[in-house]
Amino acid sequence: MDKIELKNLLFLARLGANEKDYLELIKKLENTLQLIDQMNEVDLEKFEPLNNPLELSNVSRADKENDRNAKRDFLDNSPRSDEDYFIVPKIVE
Amino acid sequence: MTFKETRAQFRAKKVSAKELVQDSFKNINKHEELNIFISKFEDDAIAHAEHIDNNFSDFKDLPIGGIPIAHKDIFCTKGKKTTCASKMLESFVPPYDSTVTRNCYEAGSIMIGKTNMDEFAMGSSNETSFFGPVKNPWQKSLVPGGSSGGSAACIAAGITSISTGTDTGGSIRQPAALCGITGLKPTYGLISRWGMIAFCSSMDQAGPFAKDAFGCSALLDAMSSFDTKDSTCTKRQDKNFEASLVNDFGKLRIGVIKGIEDFGISESVLKAYENTKDVLQQMGHSFHELDFSELSSGICSYYVIAPAECSSNLSRFDGVKYGHRAKAENINDLYLISRSEGFGEEVQKRILIGTYVLSAGFYDAYYRKAQRVRRMIKSKFDKFFESVDLVFLPTTLDQAFKMNRESSDPNKMYKEDLLTIPANLAGLPAISFPNGFSNNLPIGAQFIGNYFTEDLILNTTNKFQEVTDWHKMTPS
Amino acid sequence: MAQNDTLINGWQPVIGLEIHTQLLTNTKLFSPSINKFGEEANTLVDLIDMGLPGVLPVLNDGAVKQGIAFGLATNAEIAKTMVFDRKNYFYPDLPKGYQITQLHYPIVKNGSVDVDGKKIRIHQAHLEEDAGKSMHDIYDLESVVDLNRSGIPLLEIVSEPDISSSEEAVKYLKKIHQIITYLDISDGNMSQGSMRCDANVSLMRPEDTKLGTRAEIKNINSFKFVEKAINFEIKRQIKILESGAKVEQETRLYDSIKDETRSMRTKEFANDYRYFPCPDLVPYNISEDLIKEVKDSLSELPEEKQKRLIETYNLNEYDAAVLCAEKSIANFFEKVAENADALLAAKWIIGDLNALLNKNDIALSESKITTANFSVLIQKISDNTISGKIAKEVLEAIWESGEDVAKIIEDKGLQQISNESELEAIVDKIIDDNPSQVAAYKSGKDKLFGYFVGQVMKATQGKANPGLVNIILKNKLI
Repeated sequence: MDKIELKNLLFLARLGANEKDYLELIKKLENTLQLIDQMNEVDLEKFEPLNNPLELSNVSRADKENDRNAKRDFLDNSPRSDEDYFIVPKIVE
Repeated sequence: MTFKETRAQFRAKKVSAKELVQDSFKNINKHEELNIFISKFEDDAIAHAEHIDNNFSDFKDLPIGGIPIAHKDIFCTKGKKTTCASKMLESFVPPYDSTVTRNCYEAGSIMIGKTNMDEFAMGSSNETSFFGPVKNPWQKSLVPGGSSGGSAACIAAGITSISTGTDTGGSIRQPAALCGITGLKPTYGLISRWGMIAFCSSMDQAGPFAKDAFGCSALLDAMSSFDTKDSTCTKRQDKNFEASLVNDFGKLRIGVIKGIEDFGISESVLKAYENTKDVLQQMGHSFHELDFSELSSGICSYYVIAPAECSSNLSRFDGVKYGHRAKAENINDLYLISRSEGFGEEVQKRILIGTYVLSAGFYDAYYRKAQRVRRMIKSKFDKFFESVDLVFLPTTLDQAFKMNRESSDPNKMYKEDLLTIPANLAGLPAISFPNGFSNNLPIGAQFIGNYFTEDLILNTTNKFQEVTDWHKMTPS
Repeated sequence: MAQNDTLINGWQPVIGLEIHTQLLTNTKLFSPSINKFGEEANTLVDLIDMGLPGVLPVLNDGAVKQGIAFGLATNAEIAKTMVFDRKNYFYPDLPKGYQITQLHYPIVKNGSVDVDGKKIRIHQAHLEEDAGKSMHDIYDLESVVDLNRSGIPLLEIVSEPDISSSEEAVKYLKKIHQIITYLDISDGNMSQGSMRCDANVSLMRPEDTKLGTRAEIKNINSFKFVEKAINFEIKRQIKILESGAKVEQETRLYDSIKDETRSMRTKEFANDYRYFPCPDLVPYNISEDLIKEVKDSLSELPEEKQKRLIETYNLNEYDAAVLCAEKSIANFFEKVAENADALLAAKWIIGDLNALLNKNDIALSESKITTANFSVLIQKISDNTISGKIAKEVLEAIWESGEDVAKIIEDKGLQQISNESELEAIVDKIIDDNPSQVAAYKSGKDKLFGYFVGQVMKATQGKANPGLVNIILKNKLI
């Protein structure tokens, strides 16, 4: 992993790091990736990927309303809001 | 007092719920330095206890009626701060209850507080908590294990007789082992995940802590319910675990892993393991060796899947709707700074790993491959359970370790989960129970059972605890 | 694939559309809060739509059925198993930091629709959740977020790049609009955003075998803008290509005020959505029984309705097709035909009413015309209370005021004069006043008959019953 890759990764994850710490961070990540890479030692072709251990299917609900709106609570939990909305710095498109 | 004794006294009116709560708080104060709690609700708990005492007949027959309980601070509690031990949620007050805490409330228990944990349940030592580490009640310089370290220490310190935890890669079983108590990770899907802050959705599972299997059974009866709010919750809550403790499951075929001693397990843990095998044999059970040479690949798979899911699950913490928000001029800075400030180092590292393994070009090499390992582990177990009833193995490689050990080798911490992770990958139920003692510190061992055989696991552990005393040891 | 009549400066436009339609379920795709437009901000928001920690999605089976209905109506394959994936990206109106969508196992695959005899293939249609809405004009320095839309079910219909012109794109879009509104799975209201469209546009030479680089134009919100945006984009790309430069693969926004597309602020890094199966949901197997259940309750499709209108009301094929172009119009016709002459109603809907709708560019439901007042109008024409000419005036009056038809006729004194003696008196006066024309007519200038009719109409402000005027004049001018 190089610095550009790390920068991209940080951007995708919306995390920040000081450029001076990049090398150390890369070392840490690569250390973990090395641990992970040990799985290449196993022959896996005959095993289909498993998403969920119980392999359930067809869980759904009827199209019926259940009003759990708590606008006031929701907005009060927000670090910045007015009477009606969540507020964020101006988004420029 | 164990849960069984506590409840018997409450039911016999020898002690009131209020006295139990007062006792708990006396112990909390006594053990303040262990840093077990993130939130305590003394006034509310006393009021709740008084209500229960005044309506004794409504509560006396409930599975955990009148009993003080501590919940891991990962379960959302309506109107009460829920932090997940993160600065990100330092002042988050959910407008809803988790199914687990709601069920425990309805089963008559009294919540006295929310326990400390590794931040967002990521860690095996409780050192990643924003609120500082929990200390092991057996020896304060040692870790209690994690991520449910606070809940485990709470039982070991005698503050409550039951508590809740969650287990994604061993987060119930490992601290149970390190604190000398009993903790169960049920089958994935037995307990609803609604309102339990997600780390790795396909492995997270809530479960009970108590000194013994009896307490775990009663709490499991309270915690588990079919919940339509969780699509991965299965309708398999037809068993009464406490009642099934008296069942006779007969002589069991117990599987043990061939060459387990070569997986880096410490001498003391191995010795306890061998001793326990002897006890189990004396109880009439038989042993069968299982070939599980791929055991180690579970860790690789886990450290792909768990970070991958966590990177996505933790995206909602963006400083917009709730949680920590940094001062920022534009939206990208808002995300970046809020998240960098709000998450601790370990959480950020796992988010980055997760983002990496899911990103274009790496998905097949990492994520899909890890899912294949997952299938392999599951099919291994499926095969095992054709010939055995339970798998028996140690819970941890070693006993409780010193704080600040991690920095020297982070992978060592990850490898710590070697023996607990397979049950999470396969979604199987597993219990950790005290099975030995060395250097004045407890040791734990595990039973892993087939899907939805919590009754068998608890029953077998309970029978073992009828003939052993390890679970009765308490720190001085 | 190139059709020469769609070439522009020798370039063949290659267009594919991605159409997002909000489904008409009662509740959201994964939460039980109400799916509705135009309510107070942040009042239709559930814990799940908020993306609060620890809350979990549960699939709405109403949305599944509506997706199946679309598949059936477009001769598509319905998935045996569909799977939901997470698409990860950050945006303030995306509360979870990911959208739940279907990447590899969509509910519908390989469909097609017929557009003027040409088959446009549908690559897939998948279920996904809508995002909330950010607004930028409330505060100077900040944007606001309303999550009412967050979690509304969308069916994203992805066409193959089979479309060759902006006109054809509009026709295809109208066809999809027709299907989803007939199925009652969407109201297809583009101005409210319940139907939105992205267009992928590229150019190639007719002899090329490889498609050119495409630009994706995002969120086009009217039929008219689809045509304009694509036309602009084609011109832009021609200019680039003919200058020897290359078209960049990028996302562009259509600005309807300036009538141009412009590049969305280029991100520092490419987006990488890191799709993976959503672990909070489980695969959904669609059974033959469920497909049959949906099939049996399928609403009448345009072709079926057209056929039925021809049989029931004796309409000609053209009229039936025009009426059925939009479900709301066809239903309006049927309602009016219950109480008024069907053929006359059809004539007036296709002619004058349609003209008014087009002129004002609004939907029937948004106008003041109702089946009640329109039925009365047709009745008044049928029973000769008003003439066709007056009827036009009355229709315009209803259009403006929505007032009662009878009242309009009475207030304006528009009632047709069918009283014989009254008309005779008027005719007599006109004959008396125009002796020379009478003489000319009687000497064989037949064409002058029209002049007398005109005079009668003038004297009665057009209210005279034309049939009766003819008879009376014929009798008097012998």
